[in-house]
Amino acid sequence: MALRIGIREGIRTITRNNSLFLLSLLVTSISLFLLSLFVLVTVNLYYAVKILDEKIEIIAFLDDHANVQRLMRNIRKINGVTDVIFVSSEQALKDLQNELKETEAVLNVFEKNPLPASLRIKLERSFRNRRGLTEISNKIMLLQGVKETIYGGELVDQLKKITNIISAFDIGLLIIIIFSVIFVIFQTIKLTIFARSTEIEIMRLVGASNSFIAIPFTFEGVVQGALGGIIAFILIAITTHITTSIISVVYFPKLYFFIGSIIFGAFFGIIGSSVAIRKFLK
Amino acid sequence: MITFDKVSKIYQRDWTALDDVSFHIDKGEFVFVCGPTGAGKTTILRLIYKYEEPTKGTIKVMGENLRLMKKKELPKLRRKIGVIFQDFKLLQDRTLEENVLFALEVTDTPPKNMKKKLMEILTYLRLSHKKYAFPYQLSGGEQQKVSIARALVRDPYILLADEPTGNLDSRSSQDILEILMDINYKGTTVIMATHNLNIVKKMKKRMLRIENGKLVRDK
Repeated sequence: MALRIGIREGIRTITRNNSLFLLSLLVTSISLFLLSLFVLVTVNLYYAVKILDEKIEIIAFLDDHANVQRLMRNIRKINGVTDVIFVSSEQALKDLQNELKETEAVLNVFEKNPLPASLRIKLERSFRNRRGLTEISNKIMLLQGVKETIYGGELVDQLKKITNIISAFDIGLLIIIIFSVIFVIFQTIKLTIFARSTEIEIMRLVGASNSFIAIPFTFEGVVQGALGGIIAFILIAITTHITTSIISVVYFPKLYFFIGSIIFGAFFGIIGSSVAIRKFLK
Repeated sequence: MITFDKVSKIYQRDWTALDDVSFHIDKGEFVFVCGPTGAGKTTILRLIYKYEEPTKGTIKVMGENLRLMKKKELPKLRRKIGVIFQDFKLLQDRTLEENVLFALEVTDTPPKNMKKKLMEILTYLRLSHKKYAFPYQLSGGEQQKVSIARALVRDPYILLADEPTGNLDSRSSQDILEILMDINYKGTTVIMATHNLNIVKKMKKRMLRIENGKLVRDK
């Protein structure tokens, strides 16, 4: 019964003190929107890094008479290699033509296809660095039929260094934003509860238990947080839509963001209201 | 019913609100706690319903030593004590009926009994016709009656009244005093804090006079 009355009291407060609730909801929504926006930036940063990371590979150019099947078998046996893809000289030319498009005519100066056949060697994550690339490349070079290997050794290391610095900076900023958002939401909830200190005092005077007093406020906190999460999600979806139409594709896992916003909002709401009400119940 | 044994209450910055106060109030008594503003009257009432803790001394209410009472037992104590205030402390966004029902709902009263109890108390206080009115639509006297209704609806053993007539005209004050006397007549222990000595003289009841935190007279 306490839960039923508590929820009813929570709904009553939301509907009767709606200006206070709306103000509080607005602050929560904006805070969660800023947090979501930064999470979106972080997710995209990691997504871009992942794509770049997956592109790290070794290309082995082959002699004209190389035994491709045997070579592929042997390379697959090397520790750290996950996949080997054969690119014939015809395919290489086709790919180049596709890439060049309008300037395709440049290729007409060649009487015959100048591009050699090659193998694209995909690596395990732990080998996608200068050391790993060099180690595997040296092993491949020992195999008969391989003319040359290329990989961006130093460039890969530079890229990794830059992405590591950006990631660390991003995570640091994300932590600051999370704490700021928690602080703002908690303070807002505290103010709304403080505005109703008379109600809490009366509840205490007439003998309501602490849990009974806390239920409506916790309920309000959950509703406020969850609604704030939904509004934040709508705002972030609009922002993503606009950004996508202006610059480029943005990685936006909608379902995760939707569920995440609601869960985080509700969680902040519960914790915020519980902490704030506790001060009044001492 | 209520015993204060060498009770002192010292607030921060060494401000002594009560200094070594001892008295005993029997079941069914009507007692005035009087004295000038700031003498410590409200502190005595607050200590009885354990809104505050004494700095020194022992307080017993209905046989319970309040110092030893656990936090979770506090609501049970407060359900046996009704409190009314000078500023009524009504919820402004609720009707008269909702203000009174609120006190029953928070104490897990079965819904069946709630309406019956509510009608009884509103009829007794002649407020039935205004049960849908909000506090701001009521006069000061009527608001204080709602506050009394809220305190009485749980059938308390003790009724604490902190300057209940302080904001009322003489006619409304008389009305409230008569209600308090009647409640006492029916067996509830009533303790009323007031600075108005005329009321005390007129009512001819026991008086605890507090001055500068000390009990200077018990008559």
